[in-house]
Amino acid sequence: MTEPAIRISEVHKAYGSRRVLDGISLDLARGTKLGLIGPAASGKSVLCKLVCGLEQPDRGEIEVFGERIVGKREVDLGPLRRRIGMLFQNYALFDFLTVEQNVAFPLEQGAAGTLSAETIAERVAARLRAVGLAGSEAKLTAELSGGMKKRVGIARATVADAELVIYDEPSAGLDPVTTQKIYDLLSADQARTGATVLAISSDVAALAGFVDEIAFLYDHRVVYRGPAATIADAPNALVRQFVRGDLEGPLDQAGPGMASLDRSIK
Amino acid sequence: MSNRIEALGSAALSLVRAGVELWRVYVSTIAGVMRGFSRRKDRRGHGGRARQSRAQSELVRQLHAIGNKSIVFIVITLGALGMVMTYQACLQLGRVTGDYSQVGSQLLRLIISDFGPTLTAMMLATRVGAGIAAEIGSMKVTEQIDALRMSGVLPIDYLIVPRFIACLVMMLMLAVLGSAVMYAAGGLTAKYSFGVNPNTFFDLSFIRPRHLVLFVVKCLAYGAAIPIVAGFCGLRARGSSEGVGWATTAAVIGSSFAVIVLDFILSASALWLTGGDL
Amino acid sequence: MISGIGAAALRIAQEVGGIVLLTGQVLRALVPRPGAGAWIDGRELWKNLYKMGNRSVPIVVLTAFFAGALMMLQAGPFVKKFGATGLAGWGAGYAVLREIGPILIALMFSGRVGANNTAELSTMTVTEQLDGLRALAIDPVRFLVVPRVIAMVAMLVALTVIGDLVALVGAAVVGKAMLEIDFSTMYYSIVDNLKPYDFLHGVYKSIAFGFAIAMSSCYFGVTVRGGAVGVGKAVNAAVVASAVSIMLLDFFLTYLSA
Repeated sequence: MTEPAIRISEVHKAYGSRRVLDGISLDLARGTKLGLIGPAASGKSVLCKLVCGLEQPDRGEIEVFGERIVGKREVDLGPLRRRIGMLFQNYALFDFLTVEQNVAFPLEQGAAGTLSAETIAERVAARLRAVGLAGSEAKLTAELSGGMKKRVGIARATVADAELVIYDEPSAGLDPVTTQKIYDLLSADQARTGATVLAISSDVAALAGFVDEIAFLYDHRVVYRGPAATIADAPNALVRQFVRGDLEGPLDQAGPGMASLDRSIK
Repeated sequence: MSNRIEALGSAALSLVRAGVELWRVYVSTIAGVMRGFSRRKDRRGHGGRARQSRAQSELVRQLHAIGNKSIVFIVITLGALGMVMTYQACLQLGRVTGDYSQVGSQLLRLIISDFGPTLTAMMLATRVGAGIAAEIGSMKVTEQIDALRMSGVLPIDYLIVPRFIACLVMMLMLAVLGSAVMYAAGGLTAKYSFGVNPNTFFDLSFIRPRHLVLFVVKCLAYGAAIPIVAGFCGLRARGSSEGVGWATTAAVIGSSFAVIVLDFILSASALWLTGGDL
Repeated sequence: MISGIGAAALRIAQEVGGIVLLTGQVLRALVPRPGAGAWIDGRELWKNLYKMGNRSVPIVVLTAFFAGALMMLQAGPFVKKFGATGLAGWGAGYAVLREIGPILIALMFSGRVGANNTAELSTMTVTEQLDGLRALAIDPVRFLVVPRVIAMVAMLVALTVIGDLVALVGAAVVGKAMLEIDFSTMYYSIVDNLKPYDFLHGVYKSIAFGFAIAMSSCYFGVTVRGGAVGVGKAVNAAVVASAVSIMLLDFFLTYLSA
């Protein structure tokens, strides 16, 4: 249990001429919860996809549970991916399956298909009860509200008791009350399974109440990492400004356009 | 000028890259079909039942979506074509000789060795090709493909293999149906517009085994090409709704063109192999 | 089962009705009204003419070449059996000019231009750009649909004319390469046996095909609902509707003009 859950070293990634990640290094110990914050398009989601091997980096090394994933073939990544649960930013629920079938999917496909139908049904029902969706089993995902879709996504990400869970914007587009409910649910889950968690969110206050540590992504790399509880008083001026939402500061949030907006406001 | 050459070069390069990728999709699909067969053998009786029954119900769903739902479409379009072709042929023959006795048997020869399978495939490329690309393309842009991969599922095995098998089977069935409808529609036209005796028209004596072989070979080639090209276009979709639109368009064009080119290759080889005695 | 058929019939009737209504709106917009602003947006029309015509030339030329070649291949056995080299050009030319050429070119045009147009319009619809136009008091039918309809009809006719010629070349090339028919034999076989009307027959059918493709592709583009999934479905529906209407129109026009 000595090796970390995730070890990212010197990872570079670009799409065409657009740089996304520029020499990122990040370690995450097992059983800990790390929050990832940063301005829009700073490469947070791409980082999550790199960890699962959904995208390949241009350069650098990524190890998950001590296993190198760079350059691996799609077929060989399967067993590792089954140990990871992922909540996608836009849910990515299967629109041709019902709620129940969506949640059952990782169990049916995973673990070499050794689970019996009864076990799967039991675990799916338990998970749906836990996220408060009992009674919606037979609905198609198109009939659900945003908050319900998130919860189905969470149920699907956690149903196989993944050792590493990645949440990409678990609270985006939700009202404050639902947001709090979602985070309570995530905390309860993590306490139960002891899984390693990597969470992205723009809602820093809610995120800080959930994770142990927060890393700040800026200008294609990690510029700060520190305890979540004191993030608003971080020694790094960039982070302080981003978290507090100050207008004055070193942060050039959206390039030159934003600067001229600032001027016109003044 | 150098800009032009550069643009041409990069276009050629991307075409080559697309070709290589298309080939990889094809190989992976065949490998997926093989895996599906071997998996069925060793999974019998224990474990994996849920997955296997899901795979079977998916295949049935695709057979229905590709086959049954195309029946009306095929009957209407090929029926109209059969009537028109007979009409035009009789019209021209009437101008020259006025002898209609060969129309039916020659039409049947043409339908079986070419028009039946090819026009059915053109129609399927439109309906099924666009459908496959739209479905897989929207799954791609909504990250459902990534969600599949997260469960350790190969998107090609899960999405393209059932469509591939269904399309192979249904192409053959629908081509038989389409050819029959075309021939029957032609017979009706000949009878009611030109007074050709149905007994003379429905003359099967010109059909030889080699025509039937060509029919089956063409069906298999088209049935394999359409889902591969369309699935490939769907998997390449990028962005959001616009990307899905592009993928669907590319699939219609790509699979229709594949049908035309395959038809040319197969017809020319058949003519060459038989020394013109087809 | 029966209720399923009924529902399907209702849906088809609804869509046919929608297309007819949109056609009415387009035709009304085509009648110039004094004082109602610009008749047609010239820039939009020019842009579409260029885009739809120019960009589909390669695919139409390739398709037409293969279509001609295929018809020659089908005539091959007769030529070999009866030595009727003088009639091959006539048979292939007749089939190409009257039926196979216009139909295949229209199908490819529907795939290239019609489907693309549906994708573009439906993306505009789902991103609420059409509502944006309405908010500016611009009629989307007049501004977006009418130029596209005109451009598609004009371009399909032009492409059919080009395509017919290319198809005859394709037939001649295959005739020479596989059946050893001289180009001159082919030329006289076509010129002596075919009348200008055979050529016109195909061209004037392409006017109707172009209109049908334009109407169904625009209709499914502006009535789309529901994001990326909806766009894919709209394109699919548009190409299917185009194919059915091409075949049915072909049938009726052939009978009417015999």
